[in-house]
Amino acid sequence: MSKAIEELKLKRQGQFKKRSSQVPCGMICIVLAVAIYALSLQISTNHSTFWIIGILIGVTLQRSKFCFSASFRDPVLVGSTSLLKAIILALIISTIGFVAIEYSNSGGSESLDWIKTMGQVHPVGIHTAIGAILFGAGMVIAGGCASGFLMRMGEGFLLQIVVFFAFMMGAVIGTWHFEFWDKVLISNSPTIFIPDYVALPFATIGQVIILLFLYFLADWYDKKNSIMSM
Amino acid sequence: MKIYNKIFKNPWTYRTGAVLLATFNILLFYTTGRMWRVTNGIVSIGAFILEKIGLEPSKWYYFTTYRNIDIKTSESFLANPYILLNLAIILGALISVLLASEFKWKKIKSKKQLGFALLGGVMMGYGTRLSFGCNIGGYFSAIPSFSLHGWVFAFFMLVGAWVGSKILVRYLL
Amino acid sequence: MAEFRLDCLYEACPIPLLKAHKKLQQMKIGDLLILETDHNCSIVNVVDWVKKQGHHVDYIEITEGQWEIFIEKQK
Repeated sequence: MSKAIEELKLKRQGQFKKRSSQVPCGMICIVLAVAIYALSLQISTNHSTFWIIGILIGVTLQRSKFCFSASFRDPVLVGSTSLLKAIILALIISTIGFVAIEYSNSGGSESLDWIKTMGQVHPVGIHTAIGAILFGAGMVIAGGCASGFLMRMGEGFLLQIVVFFAFMMGAVIGTWHFEFWDKVLISNSPTIFIPDYVALPFATIGQVIILLFLYFLADWYDKKNSIMSM
Repeated sequence: MKIYNKIFKNPWTYRTGAVLLATFNILLFYTTGRMWRVTNGIVSIGAFILEKIGLEPSKWYYFTTYRNIDIKTSESFLANPYILLNLAIILGALISVLLASEFKWKKIKSKKQLGFALLGGVMMGYGTRLSFGCNIGGYFSAIPSFSLHGWVFAFFMLVGAWVGSKILVRYLL
Repeated sequence: MAEFRLDCLYEACPIPLLKAHKKLQQMKIGDLLILETDHNCSIVNVVDWVKKQGHHVDYIEITEGQWEIFIEKQK
């Protein structure tokens, strides 16, 4: 470490008195979370599972500063892909996990199609592209993606509360206009579930290989350390 | 104290976060049969508010035809478990930031910042309805469910992020 | 050796990083930059990026949820 920074650190550190602890408030919030868990347990176990996993996701997002918006923005803006690589890793793990659940639930036969009926399988077409471009541009200028603004509301960003309400407004308007888009684009688009075309084991292996390839591509790009578009 | 700092004070690596998030998504799918989604819950809250002010969103084409919302026909919009999931994420982040003693109210800096936040939020929200999902439901959960729309969404989200970065550098810096 | 100060309080995510990048280009080798931020992501985001660029960097938390990032330009 450089000497100048060390000196500056010492100098600045001396100018501020000891910080107060927020841990007691955190404890109160934990008690609140447990209380809501107990309450939801009486309504339905399904809801209580959602609650507890949500808390865990929230903690993880905040602690690891996981930001989907940055994972797409940083490669373009500053040429760094460490977040993108982490997300690709998460995608590989989820792929394998979902397939494992599929097999354990259907006992090896593919007739149940757990992922296809319960998972996120939807029509693909021009509407996907339009939606994704709107979403991608929106998340960069609003400073947070869907999981990001939820996490930052917890961190105390008043701006992200505004984003939340704007997001809700946009989503509701989109729902309202849905009939129009459905008639123009969506109803003509196919729903493509990849294991319908190649058997599930091949689809799994293929997907993992593609994700691994993207991982190494991202790694190479990061090492090139380019600063584009500035 | 050292262990406490390591867990609750110092930021985790991105890789730790990735492994944990994937694990929680798998756990959620295993225990409830549902994958992690965000917008689903937010649309339900919005529809509930519209219902309260006297509109009838439940008669909208989206809810009658697609029923992409996770509630049964007779239930109120508030029964959607994804609302609970979203609230839990906010509370979880709050707990985590308080345990690190790093909570601070961050106010809005300027009208310009507010305007871009509003614009960005509406764009994101509208986009999710076209493409069936946000960065979680349409990407983080969609690619592992082997749906092609997840891959298309990811690619065009990158294009969108590029456009957004251009706007950002031009107007906000 | 000059000392610069950047106020990035209340700024949303990529702005602190972009401002730091812009400022660093105008600075001479050995100059110091103090970046004030209250964005929880910046202490990972900015610090990682500056390290990758090969400058010296460190940060302290001055009050709850507010940090000062110190950067010494190296090249």
